[in-house]
Amino acid sequence: MVNLTINGKQVAVEKDATIYDAAKACGIKIPILCHDKKLHPFGGCRMCLVEVEQMKGRLIPACTTPVTEGMIVQTTTDEIVKARKLVLELLLLKHPIDCPVCDAAGDCDLQNLTYEYKVNMNRFVDEKFNHEIDYENPLIERDMNRCIHCGKCARICDEIVSYGAYTFINRGIEAKMGTEFDGPLNCEFCGSCVSVCPVGALNSRPFKFKARWWALQKTKSVCSYCGTGCQLTLGSKDGKVLTTIYDENQGFHNGQLCTRGRFGYQFVNSDKRLTTPLVRKNGKLQEATWEEALAEVTSRLSAGKSDPASVAALATPRLTNEELFLLEKVFRGTIGTDNIDHSAGFAHEALTKGAVASFGVAASPSEIADIQKSNLLLVVKSDAYETHPVIGFEINLGVKRKGVAIRIVSDKKGKLTRLPGAKTTVHTPGSEVALFNALCKSVIDQGLVAEGVAGLDALKAAVADATAEKAGVTAEEIAAVAKDYATAEKALIILPIGLGYPGHNAALASAAANLAILTGKIGKEGSGLLIMGEKNNSQGAVDMGIYPKGTGLAASAIIDGCANGNVKTLFVAGENPVVSYPNRKKVEKALENVEFMVVADLFLTETAALADVVLPACSFAEKNGTFTSLGRRVQNVRKAIPAVGLAKTDFEILNALSQALGGARYNNQGEVFTEIAATVPAYKGLSQAGLKDEGAVYPVAVAAKLVPVQAKTAAPAAGKLAMVTGSALYHCGTMSRFGEGPMYVCPDAYAELNVADASALKIAEGDQVTVTSATGAVQVAAKVGKRVPQGVVFSPYHFGEGSVNTITDGAEVTYVTVAKK
Amino acid sequence: MIMPLIKGLQITISHMFKKPVTLQYPTERPEIKPGFRGLHALNVSHDKAKCVACYLCPTVCPAKCITVEAGEDANHDKYAAKYEIDMLRCIFCGYCVEACPVDAIRMTEQFELANYSRADFTYTKDRLLEKK
Ligand code: SF4
Ligand code: SF4
Ligand code: SF4
Ligand code: SF4
Ligand code: SF4
Ligand code: FES
Repeated sequence: MVNLTINGKQVAVEKDATIYDAAKACGIKIPILCHDKKLHPFGGCRMCLVEVEQMKGRLIPACTTPVTEGMIVQTTTDEIVKARKLVLELLLLKHPIDCPVCDAAGDCDLQNLTYEYKVNMNRFVDEKFNHEIDYENPLIERDMNRCIHCGKCARICDEIVSYGAYTFINRGIEAKMGTEFDGPLNCEFCGSCVSVCPVGALNSRPFKFKARWWALQKTKSVCSYCGTGCQLTLGSKDGKVLTTIYDENQGFHNGQLCTRGRFGYQFVNSDKRLTTPLVRKNGKLQEATWEEALAEVTSRLSAGKSDPASVAALATPRLTNEELFLLEKVFRGTIGTDNIDHSAGFAHEALTKGAVASFGVAASPSEIADIQKSNLLLVVKSDAYETHPVIGFEINLGVKRKGVAIRIVSDKKGKLTRLPGAKTTVHTPGSEVALFNALCKSVIDQGLVAEGVAGLDALKAAVADATAEKAGVTAEEIAAVAKDYATAEKALIILPIGLGYPGHNAALASAAANLAILTGKIGKEGSGLLIMGEKNNSQGAVDMGIYPKGTGLAASAIIDGCANGNVKTLFVAGENPVVSYPNRKKVEKALENVEFMVVADLFLTETAALADVVLPACSFAEKNGTFTSLGRRVQNVRKAIPAVGLAKTDFEILNALSQALGGARYNNQGEVFTEIAATVPAYKGLSQAGLKDEGAVYPVAVAAKLVPVQAKTAAPAAGKLAMVTGSALYHCGTMSRFGEGPMYVCPDAYAELNVADASALKIAEGDQVTVTSATGAVQVAAKVGKRVPQGVVFSPYHFGEGSVNTITDGAEVTYVTVAKK
Repeated sequence: MIMPLIKGLQITISHMFKKPVTLQYPTERPEIKPGFRGLHALNVSHDKAKCVACYLCPTVCPAKCITVEAGEDANHDKYAAKYEIDMLRCIFCGYCVEACPVDAIRMTEQFELANYSRADFTYTKDRLLEKK
């Protein structure tokens, strides 16, 4: 600790603190323009000048000067104020005074400081800049005439996002924040640069001119896309969510969001939202009243009570914990069917079966915070970054700031591959389990097994014939990864799971867990396994028991049940199996065949269009409740706007059904949470009010044990390409298609090919190609690059048109032929 | 008590010989004093409303009766796609005029604002645009 005096106040701070940090710690505000707590100090704007007794004679920038023992600092002498005024006058020399039309007005650091320091006139005169404004980009508008050269955008894009889209170009008064060859911006569109720009140089286009910052109602909530569980502040006005507001103090991620969180919220006010219930009459969906629609659903469900096995429910892991809990109660409790699932049957077995077998709990033993505390990250699939971008930022920070080593095992290269010191082992598609078994064997062979591991012999036997070749990699590569992993003091395995990844199931979770257990990388900080559920509440859905236990049917069996007539009544809450489950034709047929299907959703999705009754549901912005993130953090979701049209929350819908079917009735969702806290062991002792803004990580008691798993060998098909599916960076599930932002950047399905394969097939970037498998054919645009290895095709699964699940059937790899249309 | 009575009569009688102050409205029109705050008008420049949709007047309006919605024109400039005042709620304080940074709104001398239906008190951009 270092002691110093600021404006006569005694302060003690850490020895790596700056004067600015120290002042902040004791509540003294020093004005800043180029400083951001997430970024390395820059010291470029000179707004934070202060006076230090020991360095009399000149003013010192507070944001870059470390504290020293006994420092005596003054932050607001006349001389300092004069200097700061001068800084502002110089900034305003070139800065256009177009505040009335600038979107930043009201939330502009320069404007606020100009007001605070009463800079009413300028001693200097010069012509203003006349840089061309970049209107080309659909998400970010860049007006470099307003730029004050604080460098924050370039620094955040480089330090945290690791993209590096900006840099200063030219020198002196001509200096400008430029892009590659000074062309239009072409990047990840995460909007991080927009969020930190202190003036109106970078603006969010979707929010352009919509409202003033001060007129927005700000509601703290949780992003409803992926399982990372980023907190965000919704800015709403007149019942519409207009933007998300940056708050550097929010969440573990300090306000950092990805493109979906930042630009993907428009689905909330989309004019495609369902506003009234629809009931099928004479073969057509027609508007109906809630009474009518609910009466129909109730009568069907109560009829199902006498034959519970004929009733099934599929829920999206986007619902709140309360809603999922209630769904379980209605179907498993009141109706008595065990046929309930979220996308678990396809995608979350890693948690519900794998983690349970290996750790005794259906949750990750690690938390998000472990990423930066680790010494080595072993990332399965390069696109952990694409599925969970803000986790990707955490990985970037860990690698670049904390020197965490990174090893990637994947069927293709990705952004993480380019991190400093990253080593990527590219294996043949679908051989993840074989690869982990080979890693385990290598650990055993190299004598790196931790002491006192139980059940070693069984594992040894199981992996005895595991070879690197089975995963299509060299023995040296395996040995190196195994050694690096085993010898790191703390090492964390990162495993993304979800509908996009068939094959990332129980066996893979156990295979990965074996490696962690074998090397003693479990049960300590910075180590373990982070199983990353795809959707915002995937973990919550598992915690609330939305998966078949006992004899119930899992998602895929429910679809089969619909097809063969065993399932007669299907309740679908927010899920869109037609597009997201494998084998679209089969799913469509099954859903057309089921006697009665109810869909509660925000939009008339491909699935809802097949329903007998469609109930308009509320989005996350229209309800209160809780989501549980992949790191087991239970967080408050708060209502920002009233329900759109006649939409009701899934809680209201299920509560009405529950009551009508003779089950429980709750007065509000809060009562359900109280019941969750009383009945779900992990949530014991939690209260919604007690979660506050930061949420609470529930504890897990991990009983780790080795679970030998056999690798399935996928039979490669001669002359065909191996297609793997996954997520595109800008999308998450099928909902982001209704957010304008993601659709501006990534509007259509595509198939990504290696340059060599593409040239052999005479396919160029952007060509329409037909991808054919044993299940069917689909037409998509081709993307050509070096990310995917030769012989592999990658395709995201989110799209209704050109949906790749037309040609997949739930196998790890689908062998396809690709031909120009 | 006789004196006050006489004084009172004096006043009464004096008024008998004065010019009446009553205006024979509507045949006779009042003379409007400068600074009078009547119906609003949106000023025009270059054939367009001057308003740049800065949202300051709706912010400052104590009666919350102004609705502005900004739009983006072909040149990417900001303009008031919607500008509406609910005259039933307006208290004619003139703060909107004070707040405007570009002198886009003023108050005219028009005071005859009575009407029959609520809808008629909604002054849209069209109705407020300064008539040339
Ligand atoms: S949007 Fe994100 S990736 Fe693009 S320039 Fe800004 S910070 Fe970089
Ligand atoms: S664009 Fe904004 S964030 Fe970037 S240097 Fe200019 S003022 Fe700073
Ligand atoms: S989509 Fe995921 S990573 Fe992106 S902001 Fe939302 S929760 Fe965070
Ligand atoms: S005169 Fe006053 S009350 Fe009327 S619109 Fe203007 S600010 Fe609002
Ligand atoms: S203050 Fe002036 S420029 Fe701003 S919205 Fe009102 S009328 Fe338009
Ligand atoms: S904030 Fe310290 S120099 Fe910019």
